[in-house]
Amino acid sequence: MGENYSSIWLVILLPLIGFVLQAFAGPFLQAKFGKRAVGILAVAPVAAAFLLGAQLTMALASRPEADRVLRVSGTSWIDIFGLSIPFEILVDPLAMTMVLIITGIGSLIHVYSTGYMAEEKDFSRFFAYMNLFIAAMLMLVLGGNLPMLFIGWEGVGLCSYLLIGFWYKDLANVKAANKAFIVNRVGDVSLMLAMFLITILVANSDLAKDARLLSYDVMLPILQKILTNDPAMATAIGLLLFGGAIGKSAQFPLYVWLPDAMAGPTPVSALIHAATMVTSGVVLLNRMNIVFQLSPVASAVICAVGAFTALFAALIAFGQTDIKKVLAYSTVSQLGFMFIGCGAGAYSTGMFHVTTHAFFKALLFLGAGAVIHAMSHEQDMRHYGKLFKYLPVTGATMLVGWASISAFIPFVGGFSSKEAILGSALANSHAGQLSQIAGWTGLFVAALTAAYMTRMTWLTFFGDKERWRDIAPSTHHDHDHHGLEASHQPKEVPASMWFPLVVLAVFSVGLGAFLHADHRFDHWLYPQGLAVLGKVKEEYPNLLLLSLVAAIGGTVAGFLVYRNGLPKNQGWDMAKWSPLRRAEAKQFGFDAMVTNVFVEGGAEVANGLNRGFGESIIDGAVEGSGTLASRVGDIARKIQSGAVRTYALVMLIGVVGIIGYFVYVSSLGGGR
Amino acid sequence: MPYLSILVLLPLFGAILLGIMPESRQKDGVQLGLVIGVVTFLWSIATLMQLKAGTFHFQLVESYPWIESLGIKFALGIDGITYWLVFLTTLLTLVAMAFSHAQKVRPKTLIALILVVETALLGAFLSLDLILFFSFFELMLLPTYFMVAIWGGEGRRKAAAKFLIYTFAGSIFMLVGIIGLALQAKTAGGELTFGLTQIQVLAANGSLWEGTGDLQKWIFWSFAIALLVKTPSFPFHSWMPDFYAEAPIIGPMISSVMIKLGTFGFLRFCLPLFPEASVGAAPILLSLAAIGILYGAVVAIIQTDMRRMIAYSSVSHMGFVLLGIFSFTHAGIMGAGIQQFAHGISTGLLVLLVGYLVSRKQTADFRSFGGIKANAPILAAIFLFAILGSVGLPSLNGFVGEFLALLGAFEAGFNGSYGFGAGFAILAVFGVVLAAAYLLYMFQRTFYGELSEENRTFKDLRPQELFPALIFAAFVLWGGLQPTVFLRPTELSHQAARMMAIGKPGDRPMWDDLTLEIASKSGPNLGALVRVEAIREVGVPVTSNFVVQPANLHPPVLGKKPDSKTAEADH
Repeated sequence: MGENYSSIWLVILLPLIGFVLQAFAGPFLQAKFGKRAVGILAVAPVAAAFLLGAQLTMALASRPEADRVLRVSGTSWIDIFGLSIPFEILVDPLAMTMVLIITGIGSLIHVYSTGYMAEEKDFSRFFAYMNLFIAAMLMLVLGGNLPMLFIGWEGVGLCSYLLIGFWYKDLANVKAANKAFIVNRVGDVSLMLAMFLITILVANSDLAKDARLLSYDVMLPILQKILTNDPAMATAIGLLLFGGAIGKSAQFPLYVWLPDAMAGPTPVSALIHAATMVTSGVVLLNRMNIVFQLSPVASAVICAVGAFTALFAALIAFGQTDIKKVLAYSTVSQLGFMFIGCGAGAYSTGMFHVTTHAFFKALLFLGAGAVIHAMSHEQDMRHYGKLFKYLPVTGATMLVGWASISAFIPFVGGFSSKEAILGSALANSHAGQLSQIAGWTGLFVAALTAAYMTRMTWLTFFGDKERWRDIAPSTHHDHDHHGLEASHQPKEVPASMWFPLVVLAVFSVGLGAFLHADHRFDHWLYPQGLAVLGKVKEEYPNLLLLSLVAAIGGTVAGFLVYRNGLPKNQGWDMAKWSPLRRAEAKQFGFDAMVTNVFVEGGAEVANGLNRGFGESIIDGAVEGSGTLASRVGDIARKIQSGAVRTYALVMLIGVVGIIGYFVYVSSLGGGR
Repeated sequence: MPYLSILVLLPLFGAILLGIMPESRQKDGVQLGLVIGVVTFLWSIATLMQLKAGTFHFQLVESYPWIESLGIKFALGIDGITYWLVFLTTLLTLVAMAFSHAQKVRPKTLIALILVVETALLGAFLSLDLILFFSFFELMLLPTYFMVAIWGGEGRRKAAAKFLIYTFAGSIFMLVGIIGLALQAKTAGGELTFGLTQIQVLAANGSLWEGTGDLQKWIFWSFAIALLVKTPSFPFHSWMPDFYAEAPIIGPMISSVMIKLGTFGFLRFCLPLFPEASVGAAPILLSLAAIGILYGAVVAIIQTDMRRMIAYSSVSHMGFVLLGIFSFTHAGIMGAGIQQFAHGISTGLLVLLVGYLVSRKQTADFRSFGGIKANAPILAAIFLFAILGSVGLPSLNGFVGEFLALLGAFEAGFNGSYGFGAGFAILAVFGVVLAAAYLLYMFQRTFYGELSEENRTFKDLRPQELFPALIFAAFVLWGGLQPTVFLRPTELSHQAARMMAIGKPGDRPMWDDLTLEIASKSGPNLGALVRVEAIREVGVPVTSNFVVQPANLHPPVLGKKPDSKTAEADH
């Protein structure tokens, strides 16, 4: 069936080969041929994977609609009686969409990184991790069964860990990396349990014709049959799957790792923590949508969590002064939007927003990176201001990003995808009343989004003055670890960095409208509609007007507050901040609470167990014969002199003793 | 060719040679010991290559009379359950010897002791006679004791004594159990024997325990306690942290094989010989496993000595093995089997790398390291790789065992097969999160951060240090990417062990009945017990001539609920 598509394996293998090359030969190549060669070697496999992916996508698109799901088989992986998990690939519109996003944006970000990381000593180590990430992410979306998805799922988590902690000499980065990996694993546990439950349900049903119980082509039709009559089980599986999505896609309450993950280099934030990895949860929900179609309860939970996260993160964004943190919370918030769409039953709208968001958020992050690069690695917006004049290309593309996410121009940027999400949330009742509540919440958050993005844009590029000019000349050199000084003259970034920005800006503007026309994207993903819900409505009367009002209102409000630069009550003295903003800056205390309960509390429990149980109770029983222990020790000391010989003697005595005992016992037995 | 006798006795022979060598020739002795180690390793590979697929029976069986009046034999045999354990033993002892060749204090003696332990381990894994097993089981105690007591660290005496007392106390129970079992077998079968396969026939047809009341349970627990101490399972684990911390670094390395004797013992003795008692004890042992997984992981978090942390992590990881075995599902038991091997490999690698750290700084306390990635990028990379294998990252070897064992436990719990719920599995899965927490913390404290002044001169791995580490690393990757290579040779024997426990009397596989096999061809009979036509030789692959035994034979492979349920539905 998928014979002509077996070159899809190359799409995964190319970046993997890139990783192996970078990891084992990178330092050597860097020393011999310089960073430029290493950079080219890093970009090439991802770009090649993109070209191959694009070709395969076009081939897929030229097939008849009903025949666009192909399985490409590979070798066996885990194989026991009754359960077979092979390496296999499922080529379908969902997977190929993600392939294009991952390799397309991935290539651009690789190009950008060659400029951004140019002064980095560990140049090849960085690209080794980046290539490995691309390979893992491709595995996640292309894998033909859940365990393969899980390889990618944990693989991207690993790469995220490695890249957040890339500058490992600063322990703050490493701690953020650990946090990311561990919090993600909590979600992974949920996903694992979902896999177990699915395996057993499918196996028990006796409907599976072969042992590939977890392969999508075998599992999904059977799940549909079983779960139709068992909504409770659908809810159980749905919630477990969503638990995994919450971890990877940074939804409340597991979002806590994502803001800290900004400790990594900025291209990493753009690629992993905005465009690709964090959208895995939405991909998972789309892949397993049959479960959610059959569980209104799980769908309602998704809507509720998505809406709450969108609101919560958007509020927090107002309290951030670090430009990357603003974008991080904005990502969390936008991911919340995607889940609102999925919860409402309009899975394609979630993917639609994944797609548009990937472009404009990557653009915003890379733009922020360019600003940071131009400002001697200073990330605090309170030191920025009037940068547009110095960074015209960066500034212009960032304005495109700002317009795209704020969505105040109809059909530009994220307008259409957000519109589709809110429309489907308001117009459908799959998730019950909650989806309407989520929809209205989303509309409100859209206004907030426009406002905090305007805040970020104006604080950075416009305003009344260049605030870094106020930096006091450093008297003691310990103070200035950021290196930004009053005399600093920002310079536009090199072409390797602004070129990707321009490409992303072009796509950010046009892609949404193009995909939205004639429901092109929805039709591409689900040509026949959904199995249970059929065609899902995406329109709601007057929504266009309402969201324009929200977006423009938010933008104007933001403009009015920030047009003159940094307001006095948001300056360096946090005591002058409004109580709300201070609470927002601290994430309403949630992160601190989590840390207290699980880290501090956990350590207390561990200490208690170790002291109270490990040492006293258990050993007490043994060391009640403590005298015996010391006596054995004495004997041991004596025999050590001629250790081996004496020990042989001891063994001999022991064996004789045992045999003698046996003779005795068996004589008893014989006499019976 | 007596492959197995040679395999078992070769290291002992080497140890005797080293013993009679004059003390002055330390260097020659070390080299001779290493040669013996290499030969044994190669011989073990040659032995494994002799084995045939398609059978669960023992192969290369040898049997010589030992103490005839008591029916004690020197009988050896190998099957799927021991397949990788044998390999693990010869590999890890070889690496341990290679590691200790630089030992300054009486290296020859140390290597001789390692060789004795190797014989004891191989003997215990391959014994087909209970007394022979017990002799080997005990034989490893004293050399291990001396290893710790002579070459260990500060608190070596206490640690060595604790190890000895714990395991010795445990094994006394087992000795009593073995004698009781033999006497009961004599009552049931009319002949005094300690032969594993002979007694198993009696257990399989149900005559062994017929009308004996609680005797089976008592003897099961006498075995179980010794094995739980060895594993080590909560709450019998507390010898292990001290042992790991105080022993010379080869101690934990060898121990990472030795502890497999515990879980191996359950598969080899408890399931086949005490079927009803094993199944009946499942809830207790699953509880211990789940508690052990979480307890070991939680306590590992606050350790500052890397060796102690690895010890607690072993308690946690061996819990998965126990969980898999006592789920009595095919997935679970396969997971347990492969987890034993994977844990041996990844713990062996971790201990080896910690050994390199200790050899540079004379301490395993990670607080005195920090930032050394800057100086030792290769060591850091391979250390992280070992950690990832250990936390069960999918595509590395730790994942397969954990996944299958947990799946098995979940399956049994979900189906309510043996009177327990899925709670054990759900709790146990969180061990995976905790494993990441403590291992990554250890890595952070050791390798990340600023390099302190005193560590400026820290050196990266030398090629001769890197080589053994790379061998382990290759297995970590291979076992993760192609686990079927490692699962396949063990599958029939594991399935047989499981069916010996959960089958009804008369429907259980018998080691002594060579016409019984487990169907390994895909089809409706897959995994079922079948009778094959007169078989000429053990291990001739069964290709056709299935004579399926009647009725209730189909064992639950995966997802098929146990027969009791369908039987209930029929009523």
